[in-house]
Formats: sequence, C-alpha cells, structure tokens
Amino acid sequence: MKPLLQLSDIRKSFGAVRALKGVSFDLQPGEVHALLGENGAGKSTLIKVITGAHSPDEGTLVVGEETLRSLTPSKARELGIACIYQQPALFPDLTVAENIGLRLKKTGAFARVNHAARRKQAEELLKRIGADLSPDAEVRSLSMPEQQLVEIACALGSGAKVVIMDEPTASLTQKEQHLLFAVVRDLRKSGVGVVYISHRLEEIFALADRVTVLRDGESVGTNRVDDLDEAAMIKLMVGREVAQLYPPAEGEAGDVVLSLKNLCCAAGGVKGVDLEVRAGEIVGMAGLVGAGRTELARVLFGITPADSGEIRLNGKPLTLSSPREAISHGIAYVPEDRRRHGVILEMPIAHNITMAVHPVLFPGTWLRFKAETELAKDFIRDLGIKAYGPDAPGGSLSGGNQQKVSVSRWLATKPKLLILDEPTQGVDVGAKSEIHKIIRGLAKDGLAVLMISSDLPEVLGMSDRIAVMRGGTVTAVLPGGSDAHEVMAAALGHGGKEVA
Amino acid sequence: MTAAKSTKAPFFRHEFVLVAVIVLEVILFQALGRRFLDGSNVSNIFRFSVEVGLLALAMTPVILTGGIDLSVGSMMGLCAVCFGMLVKDASLSPWVAAVLSIGIGTVGGGLNAFLIARMKLPPLIVTLGTFSLFRGLAEALTKGSKSYSAFPDSFLALGNSTVAGLPAQLWIFFLVAIGIWLLVHRTTLGRSFRAIGYSPEGSRYAGIPVERNLSLAYILTGAVAGLAAVILVARLGEARANAGIGYELLAITAVVLGGTSIFGGSGTIAGTLLGFLAVAILNNGLKRMQDYEIFDKTIASVSNEMSGMLTGLLLLVALAAVPVVKAITARRAKS
Repeated sequence: MKPLLQLSDIRKSFGAVRALKGVSFDLQPGEVHALLGENGAGKSTLIKVITGAHSPDEGTLVVGEETLRSLTPSKARELGIACIYQQPALFPDLTVAENIGLRLKKTGAFARVNHAARRKQAEELLKRIGADLSPDAEVRSLSMPEQQLVEIACALGSGAKVVIMDEPTASLTQKEQHLLFAVVRDLRKSGVGVVYISHRLEEIFALADRVTVLRDGESVGTNRVDDLDEAAMIKLMVGREVAQLYPPAEGEAGDVVLSLKNLCCAAGGVKGVDLEVRAGEIVGMAGLVGAGRTELARVLFGITPADSGEIRLNGKPLTLSSPREAISHGIAYVPEDRRRHGVILEMPIAHNITMAVHPVLFPGTWLRFKAETELAKDFIRDLGIKAYGPDAPGGSLSGGNQQKVSVSRWLATKPKLLILDEPTQGVDVGAKSEIHKIIRGLAKDGLAVLMISSDLPEVLGMSDRIAVMRGGTVTAVLPGGSDAHEVMAAALGHGGKEVA
Repeated sequence: MTAAKSTKAPFFRHEFVLVAVIVLEVILFQALGRRFLDGSNVSNIFRFSVEVGLLALAMTPVILTGGIDLSVGSMMGLCAVCFGMLVKDASLSPWVAAVLSIGIGTVGGGLNAFLIARMKLPPLIVTLGTFSLFRGLAEALTKGSKSYSAFPDSFLALGNSTVAGLPAQLWIFFLVAIGIWLLVHRTTLGRSFRAIGYSPEGSRYAGIPVERNLSLAYILTGAVAGLAAVILVARLGEARANAGIGYELLAITAVVLGGTSIFGGSGTIAGTLLGFLAVAILNNGLKRMQDYEIFDKTIASVSNEMSGMLTGLLLLVALAAVPVVKAITARRAKS
C-alpha cells in the first residue's frame, strides 16, 4: 500500500545543535505509528517538520502523491495533516460548533454565518468520532479530554488523513484515556494514519501497530510493536539496559513523622483525612484526578490552610497558614506544575535551588554568591542534573532535569517530610528511573516521603504503603505489594470491580 | 544551550546601545552648541535632573516585581506642599520638616503597598488612582494657588551649592544609588523582587514572603519620592502643588530605556543609571539650544517643544535597536 507520509533522511540543525541527524519515517493508511524517545531526542522537531513549522535542512517529504523539500503550516493542512496538542488551542468562550466552524471554514470578516449549517456539521463530526458532546456547549465548560475530542472532530472535518497526537493522555484520567483510545481505534479503522507520541509504554502496547524510536536525533529503528517487549523498548530509547525499573525498598520504617486526624479544608475539598507517614517510608498516594490529593498537599504546605482537624509533625501539633511556615517546620512540597510553581524558568538553576533557604543560607539578608554556587554544584553533582553549570536558566533544561532542580530546592531545606506531587510527570524514562532512585535514597536516609502520583505502576513500584484517596478523603491504606486492581477499585469506590 | 546564551547576550547589547546613544548625544550637543562639556554645564545636567534620577532608581525594584508606580510625581507634589506647610505654618526647622515629608511619602507608599500587595489590586490601576489622589490632596491643601517660599539659606544650599566640586544633591543621589544597587543586586530582598516579577505564584511556593516584599518595594518608592520633593523645593526655593508633574513618566522612561523588562524579572541598576543619563543629557541639550545665538529664533523655540518628542523617539529607537539588529542578522544568516 502506498504510504500516507514518507520522510527520508531528514536533517535539521539549530545553530550548532543538530536536532535531527537523518531521520526516516513512514506512515501507512489505517496505522497507529508510535514515536518514542527521551526528552530532547528530536520528537518535537520531527513533528514540527511534518506540520510545516520547521523546514528541514536536508531530506525529502512525500505526502500522498507530492514530493516536497519542505512544508508550510498552511500547505500541511491542505495536504491533510492535522496535529492534536496536549493543550487544545480552542476559543474557550465560543461553543463547540463555533470552534469547529471557525477551524474548518475561512470566511471574510463580513461574511454571513450560517449557524444552522455550522451546528449540523459539528453534530455530524462529533457523532462520527462517537463523542457525546453538545455542539452548543461552551468550550470553557468542557474537560481537557472533551476539548481534545473537539480537536479531533476538527481534524476529521478538515479531511485529515494524517493525525498527529502529541502526548494526548498526559492530563487524562484512566476513564478518559479509554474514551480517547476508542476514538483512535475508530480513526484507524476509517483509514486515517495516526502518529502517536507518548512517554507511557503501556499505551503504546495497547494502541500502536509500529513504533519508531528516536535517540539523539537519529532513528534507532522501526519495529512492529508485537516484536518488542517493554525492556527491549526502553533499551532502544536510552541505549542501555535499565536493569530494574523501581529501586527496592530498604530498611525499616521509623517513628511517625506526620500524623493527620480528621483534617478538613472546605476551600480545598479535603474532608476528614486520617493518615500517618513514618520516617524512612514512602507512602504512595493514588486516586483519580480530582480525588483531592493535590488539595491535601496544599493544605499540608500551608497554601490553603485547614479549617479543622489535627496535623502533628513528630508528635507536635501544628497550624500551617503559609508555605513559609510549613518550610520552617520542615515540610517540603515539590509541586505538580513544575513550570508554574516548581522552577522559575528564567532564573539560573543556582537561584532556583537556593530560593527556599534564603533565611538559612543568607542570614542577615546579604547574598553569598560563593556559598550559593557551591550548594548548587553539590546538587548538580549529587542528583546528576544535566546543565552546563549553576548559571544555566531553568528553562534551558529538559523536563527531567528541571524536576531534579525542583527536588534540589526542597532537599536544601533539609526537610523532615517531603511531599512529591506527580514527581515524574512529563519526564522521560531515563530521568524517571533516576528520580525514583533519588526518592528511594532519601527514604533510606530517614526522610518521610508522601508521593502523589497518577502513574499507577509508579505508585505500586515505589510505595511502602499506598494511601488511596477518593472524594477528598483517604478511603483505603493498602500494603506495598498490592496489585493494581485493588488500588483502582479503592480509587473508584467499587468493591473490587474490574477496571482495565 | 543556545537559549541560555541568548538570554544574556541582548542584555549586554542593550547597554551598548545606550552608551552609544549617550556618546552620540554628547557629540551632537557639543557640535551644535558651545561649552556643552563645560564643568558648569555638566554639573547643571545633574543638578536639574537628580529628582528624576532618584525616582528612576526607586522605580527599578517596583518594575522588577512586574509592577509600576505612577503616583510618584503626584507624591512629590503632596510632599512638597506638606514640607512648605510644616516649615511656614508649623514653623518647624526645614530639616525636621524634610524628615517628616519623607515620612509622608513612606505612608503614601504604604497605601499603594496595602492596596497592591494585600488587596491584590493591579498596580497600574491602584497607582493611577493615587496619582490623582495625591495631586488632588496637594491642590486642596494649597487651595490650588498658594505656594510657600523664602526658606532659610542653609536649606536652599541643599539644592544650589556645591560640595567637593559637585552639586550637593548629587552626593545624596550617589548614596541612594549605592543603597538601591546593594538592595537589588546583593540582598535576598532584591533576589525576591526578580523572582516575584518572573512568577509570583512560584515565589509563594518557594516560601518567599511575597506580600511583605512587594509592600517594601512600593514603600521605598514613596519614601524616595518624599526625598526627591525636598530636594526639588531646595533647588527651586518654592513649594507648590504642581511639583514633579510628569516626573513619573520620565522615571519610567529611564528605567525601561535602561533595559529593565516592563514584565518584571530582569533589569539592572547600571541600566537604569544609563537610561537616566540618556534622558537627562537629551533634555539639557535641547534646553540649551535655545540659548545660543547661532540658531535663529525658530529653531530655538522649536527645540524646546521637541524635547518631549525626542525623548519618546529615543525610547523607541533604543528599545527597537536590539530586536531590529537581531532580525537583520537572522535574515542575513538565512540567505
């Protein structure tokens, strides 16, 4: 069969950085072709070449019948290439039908809009992808996956033959993922080719026909997914064997560090939480998005103070009304939204790392640059942060290394309790296992760790105990070796109902 | 790596552009007029512009936090009037009155701080309000026309004498410049201003006392506006409600010209000083052009009217220079 898309020997450099060093890639009709690689492997650059945002320095693209040197965004669209991004780019104040209409039909500024036709078209498209959405709903009121469905409807409506999905499940709950998977399978059935990018290997196994792995700007092979197992795929990505995905637990848990009794916070939707975390112990916190896990962390860090209930740290009752207060008691919080709360991207990593220890490191308010650089260098070395030095701005690092900077900032405070919120979200496989090793090492040194994660294998693999939250409260505390079904059942509130 | 380099490079280049602008101004005015670089004129440049310079220095931390303070010029008017009343109506020593005036500026800054940091209102709107409020207060206190003058010579010396060859008030300016430079570049407070400017939420999550530090920035501009008012009164020998009209915009011009990002986060005191110099020299040069007989009367009168326009052009040219040069080199590199 003639491929929908064929790239041969694509090269692209940005200054001295060679982002793509001769990548070839093809997409057949009715195929889901996964694109896999660590952060910085060249996936985004390749996508930008396909969507016309970048023109390659060398190489050719064949789209359908046409052979081209490069594309422009409008040419790509014309040839039936559509891209669905993690964060859908829709107009929040307009309805679904208006968004689809605007995307599909370019009209003059004073042209008349046929609302009825627009609505009918939207209805048909939504029906085709099996989306249960009203065309009259304001996009603002839709969840992230519903917005992605609208994007997919736009792609279909524009007659796209090639649909690119860039980490579409990054912010989706389990249930929403299944909905999205069903849509992708439908697309495949109708002869559309899907380029699917994801960090989550289990998705690739569930969905893809073939997988192309990129490493350092080169493709290290295209295989049928059936021919690979997880270990082989990881090996291709990182170029080395990752012996063990999760570091083993070591040592015994010590004294209770954090103890919560009937903790409530109406503003954060936290309702009567009881929980203990011991020194040297990793307590994984599972639950669906919206179960109140991040909200609980925000209460413990003093961002949204508790209304009632008891927080004890090392047996001492505390009231926490600001992050500053929480820090002074020895509580550290590595936030979920790394780019907004975790790291200030424009500032050097040294400044980022020392930010929470100003009163300790700089007593009497005068900055001590030497002490600051030393501290930053220590963390760069100890945590293996890949950066050209302490002066590198946070934004110049990859996601995984930014996360390590965020963790460093909190380790510098020498906390008693470390709360991690989605510590490996959007982090590539290599950095992920390094971060896991760091977390386990901290627990071994006697730190009490509370780890919130929506990555179920991570919770299962890392935790000494697993606390499951639902509806703002902890509904179950399970032992470390529990299986996925038990945890999911508790998270869903179903007595042992099968979910997969 | 490339991204990291490009965050630093334009910054230096911006300061180069400013130095070039200043040199160009000096050459131009030296060629057109006479005795521009005379000692007496150089010290005049500073004597007449120290107040704007002080405001620009204090404005820098505020802009670093991503804020703005439009009320400083009006604050000068209020402080000047209060100073006059304290000396003339309350018969206080001018030095006691000066300290009290700075205190009034501090309180006014505190009002801005409360509304912005505590009530979380946008700085542009808050200080637009206090811009009218402070000036209105000054006018109400003087019933719109009253002015205070005939201050003791010992006080007027602050604005008109020279100390060690330099205008007396320039020494105060140096002290404030050093103080604010230390604050911005050498203290945790200065570091936190940048952090707040880049990301107020991120700063809060890092345990920085955002409310307190933001307040301090606005209180500082208020206090410095009080100081600038006292110096202005000493120079003019007169305290009126219209003191410092338009100074806030000149100060902001100097800061932005100096490369401080209006969105907060990046900027230096050195940049602000260069920006201030460029503005001060331009205004002085244009004012002097009228005095020379080599120009006929029309040019002389036009040059005064052009002062505002040229200040604006200077700002636009200096700000556009770096991106324009960059775009041209990028285009060349492509072809």
